[in-house]
Amino acid sequence: MSDDAADVQRVLAGDVDAYAALVDRYYDRCARFAIRMLGNRDDAEDALQATFLRAYRALNRYQERDRFSAWLYRILVNQCRSIAARRAHRERVFVREEALLLNAPDRAVTWSGEDEEFVQRVLNELDPLLREAFLLKYIEEMSYEEMSALTGVGVSALKMRVKRACDRLRERWERIKND
Amino acid sequence: MPLHRPPRFAFGLSLAALVALAAIRPAAGQDAAPVDRMVKLDQYNRAAVELMFDSAATLGLPVSYLRSVVYEGIEKHADNRAIVRAVRKQFDLLKTARATLGAIDSGELSGAAAVLYAGARPNQLHSFRVQQKSQNRLEAFTVWADLLTRGVPAEDAFTGIEKLWADGADDATFLRLWKNVQSDILQGLNPGTALQNRIRETPVRASPQTVKPPEGQQENQSSR
Amino acid sequence: MIDSEQHPYVEWIAREARRPVVTDPVARERLMAAIRAEPAPTTRVPFWRRVVEPRALLLSPATMGLLAAGLVGIGVVAGGLAMNRDGRSVDQPRVGVAPQLPVSDTVVRFVLVAPQAETVSLVGDFNGWDSTRTPMARAASNGVWTVTLPLSVGRHVYSFLVDGKWSVDPNAPLAPDDGFGHANSVRIVRKGSAL
Repeated sequence: MSDDAADVQRVLAGDVDAYAALVDRYYDRCARFAIRMLGNRDDAEDALQATFLRAYRALNRYQERDRFSAWLYRILVNQCRSIAARRAHRERVFVREEALLLNAPDRAVTWSGEDEEFVQRVLNELDPLLREAFLLKYIEEMSYEEMSALTGVGVSALKMRVKRACDRLRERWERIKND
Repeated sequence: MPLHRPPRFAFGLSLAALVALAAIRPAAGQDAAPVDRMVKLDQYNRAAVELMFDSAATLGLPVSYLRSVVYEGIEKHADNRAIVRAVRKQFDLLKTARATLGAIDSGELSGAAAVLYAGARPNQLHSFRVQQKSQNRLEAFTVWADLLTRGVPAEDAFTGIEKLWADGADDATFLRLWKNVQSDILQGLNPGTALQNRIRETPVRASPQTVKPPEGQQENQSSR
Repeated sequence: MIDSEQHPYVEWIAREARRPVVTDPVARERLMAAIRAEPAPTTRVPFWRRVVEPRALLLSPATMGLLAAGLVGIGVVAGGLAMNRDGRSVDQPRVGVAPQLPVSDTVVRFVLVAPQAETVSLVGDFNGWDSTRTPMARAASNGVWTVTLPLSVGRHVYSFLVDGKWSVDPNAPLAPDDGFGHANSVRIVRKGSAL
């Protein structure tokens, strides 16, 4: 039995602290997805709260033979979608110059938090469905099959979305480079 | 065990993944379908409808309603293109209904989509944004769509239904109207005329207390 | 031809986005506080809770078969096997309590008078428009076909398939044809409706 499945069993037997262990294991990773997907920490935090609460309530429906992370991410992806649909997208204004980007792939530097925000701005430009597919593929590093099970979208449709997301990013690079 | 979504063996998912998928779906009555019916759509058309389902889900629109359109088309032996067109049409109607009526539940939403499909104009839905305590849009929409489908001219249908609604008519009133008009039409009366007559004779103010569903409402004794 | 998925810029974005984010420990504490305030999730629902607060269970095929056969209403069927959503059977105490219907379902009867028909089935959004799922039964004497089944509260679209021909319910409101050449019928199910 995996650590996750063992912890789930403990929670169902009444040990709430075992859920804290699960949260510890997955919170930051889920936070990373939520922040990248939703573009700001407030919405991400709401998504995380809702996700882990729902997972807790639905825990007796989790089956040991499934990967807990896949099961959890299913909930997370849906929560992010709900929140994105309900709230207006808030654009953040970044001060960082785009010129930095021109040197980016060639330099090995320590990236500050401001650059993290720059990447977020780039991601925010992607259509939400494209962004979601891109994040699942390249940040969560899932297979297309896993993504399909998670999102309920077919593999070919997902591949198309990931490709489009990459195309958009590449177009952005071309635009900036030629300015 | 019924699954909310049909498993996609065509895409090579593991059974575990399918169970994980099924475990999180909300219970939704009995709208499950057997395993392989979706594969009657070819891959291209299936991807097209799946993308629409996904867009609908993102917009908070009821996917089960759209999925049901696909199953209906399959069972009625419609060709793939007709099915995709039908889903697209319903998707657009749901979007319009949501835009016009705001946050209503999925039953009312699909009822509103049917009204639009049957010939009402989106701005005619505006009158139904507000409802009184005893009122239920779903019954009004259902009767409205029926009248349009039976051939009542769009303006007459809207005028009549809207008048009753604004007067605070409840479910029982709408149901009674529908029964009377239907009976008149069956006896040969022109649909528009039938409606106008019956609207005229409906009391101006509906009774203020809540009305129980009329007897026999859930049971359809048909007579041919 | 460069594979766009390996374009250095795209790779850079992905690498940056992959960096761990720093989360606020206070948010996590708040989450655990909310978790602790929740009722514990358990594998079994105690009997008393089932009676007081029926859960949203889907009925097993056996139970649905019983309902369709005409044993309608709560209180008639004793015991019976209920299944939770994973398909695992949940033990029910064997007392004279009927399987609890989900809060959001109501048992509804459909009727069609068709004395000449040989087969009639009910087809609609509640059974995936599968005409093999809900055959109707004919009363020998009067050509009346009926079926009873649980439906979720809300709006349902359906039709009858009578000897291979689609037929609306003459005593139900019409729904416009969905683009497949046939109008359908509408049934509105309300919470706690009578049969």
